[in-house]
Amino acid sequence: MRTDSTDDTAEPAGSGLRYDAVDISKRFSGVEVLKAVSVTFRPGEIHTLVGENGAGKSTLLKVMAGVYTPDGGSLSLGGVPQHGLTPREAQSRGVYLVPQEPRLMPDLSVAENLYVGTLPKGRLRVNVDWRAVYARADAVFAKVGLRVNPRLAAGRLSIAQQQLVECARALAHDCRVIFFDEPTSPLTAHDSQRLFELMNDLRGHDLALGFISHRLDEVEEVSDAITVLRDGRVVAEARRGELTRQELVGAMVGRSLAVTQRAAHTTTPGDVALDVQALSCPPEVNGVSLRVRAGEIVGLAGLVGSGRTEFAETVFGLRGPSAGRVLLGSRDITARSPRTCIDAGLVYLAEDRGRNGVFAEVDLSRNVTAATIGRLPRWLSTFLRPRQEQVAAQRAAERMDVRAASMELAIKALSGGNQQRALLARWVAAAPKVAIFDEPTRGVDVGAKEGIYEIIESLTRNGLATLVISSELEELVRLCDRVYAVYEGRVVGEVAGDDITLETLGQLAVGAS
Amino acid sequence: MTNIALPRRYTLPAWGLTLIVALVAELVYFSLTTRQFAGHGTGMLVLTEQFVPIGILALGAGMVILTGNIDLSAGATASLSAIVVGTELRHGVGMWGAIGIAVAAGVGFGLFNGLVVALLGIDSLLVTLATQFIATSLATSIGGESPPYGFSDMFQRIGTGLVGPIPSALLLFLVLAAITVILVSRTGFGRALTLIGYSRSAADYSGIRTRRTLVIAFTLSGLFSGIAGLVLAAYYNSARDDIGTTLLLPAITCVVLGGVDIFGGKGRIAEVVVAVFFLGFLSQGLLMSGRSSLTVTMITGILLIVALVVKLSLERQSGESLGGALRRLLSQRGFRRPARQR
Repeated sequence: MRTDSTDDTAEPAGSGLRYDAVDISKRFSGVEVLKAVSVTFRPGEIHTLVGENGAGKSTLLKVMAGVYTPDGGSLSLGGVPQHGLTPREAQSRGVYLVPQEPRLMPDLSVAENLYVGTLPKGRLRVNVDWRAVYARADAVFAKVGLRVNPRLAAGRLSIAQQQLVECARALAHDCRVIFFDEPTSPLTAHDSQRLFELMNDLRGHDLALGFISHRLDEVEEVSDAITVLRDGRVVAEARRGELTRQELVGAMVGRSLAVTQRAAHTTTPGDVALDVQALSCPPEVNGVSLRVRAGEIVGLAGLVGSGRTEFAETVFGLRGPSAGRVLLGSRDITARSPRTCIDAGLVYLAEDRGRNGVFAEVDLSRNVTAATIGRLPRWLSTFLRPRQEQVAAQRAAERMDVRAASMELAIKALSGGNQQRALLARWVAAAPKVAIFDEPTRGVDVGAKEGIYEIIESLTRNGLATLVISSELEELVRLCDRVYAVYEGRVVGEVAGDDITLETLGQLAVGAS
Repeated sequence: MTNIALPRRYTLPAWGLTLIVALVAELVYFSLTTRQFAGHGTGMLVLTEQFVPIGILALGAGMVILTGNIDLSAGATASLSAIVVGTELRHGVGMWGAIGIAVAAGVGFGLFNGLVVALLGIDSLLVTLATQFIATSLATSIGGESPPYGFSDMFQRIGTGLVGPIPSALLLFLVLAAITVILVSRTGFGRALTLIGYSRSAADYSGIRTRRTLVIAFTLSGLFSGIAGLVLAAYYNSARDDIGTTLLLPAITCVVLGGVDIFGGKGRIAEVVVAVFFLGFLSQGLLMSGRSSLTVTMITGILLIVALVVKLSLERQSGESLGGALRRLLSQRGFRRPARQR
């Protein structure tokens, strides 16, 4: 790493580093996430990236921090080109990414977490100079305004404190460029404010700061420069105060509101198919009541952490409720297993596709039949008929417009959109009366989203009662006949018909009625 | 609407074929080099009596490993079953009664393992490590200072009898193997087993009854351990408290050599069965040609590593088709790593 140290000394200590990304492109399993993106982070400046989910903000910062290798384009740090950057090299050259969720080792002390991999050696060369570790940690913590004992196990800190430890780690390694990937999403307003003060302070010390946030008011509050990303491209760049809120949202969303206008759902909804009464599963779900009728698409709007996924998992029998009832038609399915729910006609498309949806290594055919294979009552003595199963899976997949060369292919080889359609095929094969779709277009290429919306609409037209959970408000405006807003595990509002707009949903989702 | 191709109707599993070729080559080699190996035509079959208990354990352990778990108590449970059946027989309990009690002991241990793993969510490695000690100590205390020996001819026939030219132990193994193969590859239970092995959490979210499936898998492993214990007691005409314990690692070796992923999901029981014969005949052949058991163990170790390397390169080359893989291997002079995906 001798070359590194010359790189570092090329910049006089204490001065800022300018970090340029030029024409960066990046693709994941065929989906282009970044398309020739250029951005410059300047010292003494807070530069914010905004955009919808999947616009490529996090990916860009991760490329610049060495987490991902770009497929094209170049990076230049303080005028020095960077090739094949690893996170470790990025850190040693002065670039640090504070991740969305702090990644500290919970059983190590806070101070150890600061210096993992670079603990100062003691006199014996094999021991650690703990006194120096704690003294240095104290000094760095003072800089970020964190008052904790450096000997404390990191796991005992609050999320906000852990985030400050992440910032401290960046300072402890003399980083001159610090990226924050949605740092405020797990924080309370008060803690966010403290973080902004720290960021302002660091800006004063001539550091270059990168920031991602979905909360537009804080974006306007802290940013010196704003870059708007949409579908992997830079669509707008502005200095502080150059864009109005409306223009910002317009740039993020891209389509004019006329296009995102709700599709007119003319069918009249039928009987109540799903009736949830005061369902609680503390601490995330606190007495949620809602109803979904056959032939109706109902939305559930809420921020990450609002309890919307936990609510769905409680309905689907993956969590045990402490109170409340779930009625499917006239049948009480409260606290029944997922198997019982599926057989009674309720299905749940999970939010985390990689973990709870697909069997990555398994072929497309068995992925599609996974939810129906165990449904026969005498399943232990029921024999599978592989050919029939494959043909049924093939039909289901083709109906959902899955694009794949063969049913034999491991599902991980498919694009995100095709994986999601295969999962839709899995659930449609169970012939549901009620379906809960949790983030149905997450990790799906923009072009493929519309196809999934059409599938959901056509299923609903045929009598399905549909509940769509989404953090993309635009998606709810596009799809839903009625929307409930949840905040801290409670329903805080309900809007229907033409009242479903980005503005009303946006306000309800943050708990302001 | 797009067209998605269906898989070919019949595909030959590359690894299974490799194992069969190796097995045949091994049988031919030992027949030519070691006179007693082939014996009088059926000598080879009688040799299987030596390793049938390992094979039965491998069937149960294979099912558990397919779920991504492990059953370390299988060998000790077999010991317990052997001691129990021996003791009951010595006490004058009827043969079928004694067998029933011994098998029930096996099933009980398996059920207990399954319930603890599935309901309490404790890692199976720890649970079965603990029950292994419990089963062993139970076997020791039941066996007492003079472990049982000298059983009726009728009972001994389970381990050493012949049905026509076929040893009854081998017949028992083949029947159990066929049942297991069908259970794993052709029933909803088997599908649940492998899907849990691939991803427990995706299985939960797909409505697969994961806990029930795990309990059944461990119970079946206990059942098979119990049966293996019977065969051991019958074959040796005596029972010791470590009679089955030493068979655990050979059984797991068979499962792994048979291509089952130790982390679950991937694998076929039919290939495990071939691996049982391959390893079993290998050690018998080596012993008969005058090698020490030390040599046998060493060769088994070396072979296992070689086999796993070959299997890995087969999979990297072409997934399933053996012909394609061999062609590519020959044309490339060496293994090239496939381009990394990402």
